[in-house]
Amino acid sequence: MSTHRLRFTLNGTPRELEIAADRLLIDVIRDDCGATGTKLGCGVGICGTCSVLVDGELVSACLVPAVFVDGRSLTTVEGLAQDGELTPLQDAFIRDGGFQCGICTPGQLIAATALLREHPRPDGREVRDWMMGNLCRCTGYYGIERAIMRASGAGGQSDGRGLGGQRPPSLS
Amino acid sequence: MTGVAEATTSILREPEYRIEGRDKVTGAARFAADIVRPGMLHAAYVTSPFPHARVVSVDLTRARAMPGVRAVLTGAETKPQRLGRRLQDWPLLAWDRVLFIGDRVAVVAADTVEIAAAAAAAVDVEYEELPAILDPEAALAPEAPVLHPDAAGYAYLGGGTRPTVPHPNVQGHGIREHGDVDAGFAASHRVYEHTFTVARTHQSYLEPRASLVWLEGDRIRVVTTNKAPFALRQHLSVSLGIPESRIVVDAGHIGGDFGGKGLSIDEFVLYHLARVTGRPVRAVTRYADELQATNTRHAARIILRTGVDPDGRILAHTSRVIFDGGAYAAGKPVATLMPGDAMLTLAGYRVPAARVEAMAVYTNQVPAGHSRAPGQPQNAFAAESHMDLIARDLGIDAFALRERNVVRPGDVDVTGQPWHGTDGAALLAKLRSASRYDDRTANIRSVGAKGIGVGIALGVRHVGRGRASMVLRVTASGHVELHTGVSDQGGGAHTVFQRIVASELGVPLEQVAVIRGTTDAVPNDPGVGGSRVTPVQGSAALAAARALKKRLGDRELEEVGALEVIGEAAQETHEASMYAYALVAEVDPDTCKVRIRQATLVADVGTVINPVALRGQLEGGFVFGLGQAVMEDLRVEDGRVVTANLGDYKIPTIADVPPLTVELLTEDPGPGPFGAKSAGELANPAVGAAVANAVHAACGVRVMSLPVTAEKIWRESRRSGS
Ligand code: FES
Ligand code: FES
Repeated sequence: MSTHRLRFTLNGTPRELEIAADRLLIDVIRDDCGATGTKLGCGVGICGTCSVLVDGELVSACLVPAVFVDGRSLTTVEGLAQDGELTPLQDAFIRDGGFQCGICTPGQLIAATALLREHPRPDGREVRDWMMGNLCRCTGYYGIERAIMRASGAGGQSDGRGLGGQRPPSLS
Repeated sequence: MTGVAEATTSILREPEYRIEGRDKVTGAARFAADIVRPGMLHAAYVTSPFPHARVVSVDLTRARAMPGVRAVLTGAETKPQRLGRRLQDWPLLAWDRVLFIGDRVAVVAADTVEIAAAAAAAVDVEYEELPAILDPEAALAPEAPVLHPDAAGYAYLGGGTRPTVPHPNVQGHGIREHGDVDAGFAASHRVYEHTFTVARTHQSYLEPRASLVWLEGDRIRVVTTNKAPFALRQHLSVSLGIPESRIVVDAGHIGGDFGGKGLSIDEFVLYHLARVTGRPVRAVTRYADELQATNTRHAARIILRTGVDPDGRILAHTSRVIFDGGAYAAGKPVATLMPGDAMLTLAGYRVPAARVEAMAVYTNQVPAGHSRAPGQPQNAFAAESHMDLIARDLGIDAFALRERNVVRPGDVDVTGQPWHGTDGAALLAKLRSASRYDDRTANIRSVGAKGIGVGIALGVRHVGRGRASMVLRVTASGHVELHTGVSDQGGGAHTVFQRIVASELGVPLEQVAVIRGTTDAVPNDPGVGGSRVTPVQGSAALAAARALKKRLGDRELEEVGALEVIGEAAQETHEASMYAYALVAEVDPDTCKVRIRQATLVADVGTVINPVALRGQLEGGFVFGLGQAVMEDLRVEDGRVVTANLGDYKIPTIADVPPLTVELLTEDPGPGPFGAKSAGELANPAVGAAVANAVHAACGVRVMSLPVTAEKIWRESRRSGS
């Protein structure tokens, strides 16, 4: 197998690696760069746990060869918070039950980041259409939708699905 | 017990901010597959392509000669070691016979995942095919081949002896009887018998199982996705013949469990590979192998027979439940070697007389194990479909029939024991109002809406039981550290403990740290499962806080210097809680496609500790149940799983999820800390029947098996002409 010199930026930091041409992007991110925030789930492009942004575009890292990012800029979940400051989306995922086990969360956050760049004020349908490629087995998705709505400035209001904008169940 | 009033401190009234939240949203949280060791090797398996075969020979020559291959082991080297949570019936590597497609014959350790896989493919195994038993009924035939002829020699953990079984191909069996069943049937106005079947499903946690084993002096270090590290330590100790004191298990963040992460099948051979290579060895399961290798929900066939009086009151009930246990019973942790609630066949109702029989049977299929509320998704589907069919035949409203029969405290239920738990009448009343059942059904009738119907179903789940302990330490600066062996698989356990301790001590949350320890660093813990984290481990956290309060007396935390107390809990409750659904389904008249338009869930949860996580458990439980109700079917043909990736084995996406209203019953305190109950396994089992009942109401077609698919509705409607 031929090797390839790969240059790209990972979360803003320039990287240069010598890799076999058939290496998958997910393996290079996790094994060669040690950025294990991005997860490997299904391995066949269905679950979205491996979602990353390449020049801002949403990509499943389990499907593409690493050479695909040559000369491009790669953003993973580790690159979302700036100087330790969580993005509104990250904070909303914590407040609204956007995660439980957290294994899908890096991919959900990356996909939702891309969504909010494209549609800063999405409605419920836009959220569901966009996020369909990111499976979550824990939350039932209601918390994820609430979190995205909150982060978009809709204040946790969704269009009446789930518990929508209701307060969390109270003790009384 | 302290009352609910004291529990409603300001801490518990605020939505929680999860302790591990920051790590999980920044990618800093490390899961087992994220952990590497210098010099680490990778494991790959050689697996059987036949459901039942004799292993004639294994030739390792080609595999061993490949560059980068460091070790290849076969069953000859690991014989006679077997693994299992209760019954150790599964060979680490098969040495004489393979019992399902995927059974392991050899394992390779190599420098890379790719080399390991290539070497595994280069192992030449000669098999002699044997007749396969693919169906439990066939396994129970008198002349059926015995799949485990050496069963008498298997280790049975947990003390006691293995219960006797009526046929050598039975894993576990139970019969329970109370009241005068024959008299009950004789007095019945009508007797109904129905047979239901339930598909095999998979937990489908998105984190495949992973483990890493290495030797450090005489210590064996294990990093794992197993959710019960102390139990795994015991299993390793028994299987490998190594004292527990030499084994250290580290289970951190776990990427989903749903009952599936209690069984480990890799760590045992990884130990052998680490021993012979002197290097750390890791196994990360490919997702396709997750779906094919083990621990599915049991497929089941359930026959229910119930006698009722003219008003529909239950007089007598019998049932027979046959679970397909697959090739090994290793995945089942309970003493009966059946799914935990195998015998709960008409839960939630007054049953004056019943005879229940259940069994799990060996076949040459993928081994089944525990899956969220084990036994209940199957039994609740059958029971709640059965109740609906009875109501229809008697011409009684489905809600009314349930109201007449639902258990109230003190009533005898299907177990023959008095019911301790939710007042079923209150639950149903709440469901009626919350779901606007009367308006909705009247509306559907008055506009003559075709293809829309409301289905209801209820379910029960025990509040977790067991023992646990934790250590609470006060640091010199007056901070408090709770040291626990509980790993978090997503339920929010550590935040539950933090809030309990801070509430009890009356200190800010920031003053309480929760520190998860490896098995050598913290007291024994039963692990996550059995709906036990909040009621059992939460009670241990509360006991620790109370012990500390006692030691403090009038002193402030800042004044006492370093101090350590232990909190122990033994939760022996027999309480259970109930929940119920009303679902509105729409069935397309042409395609028979089902759309759930709206769902209402009412659940009795007692005092709420983590409001956000509680809601997440109920919402997530509903969607987990919905997937298994309408789409999930781990299809097996001739012993081979044919839905072997997440494209073929479909689980719900965000687009499949209907609007959901959740209403809580919180007034009735449970046995957990401050009156808490359990929630993690409370919501999923009854969804299947709620869907089947709603579909019947919508289009007049009854589907007697899970999942309820468009194809089944179409076939059934053709057959019945409705
Ligand atoms: S791991 Fe890439 S989509 Fe599932
Ligand atoms: S939080 Fe566990 S899979 Fe989404």
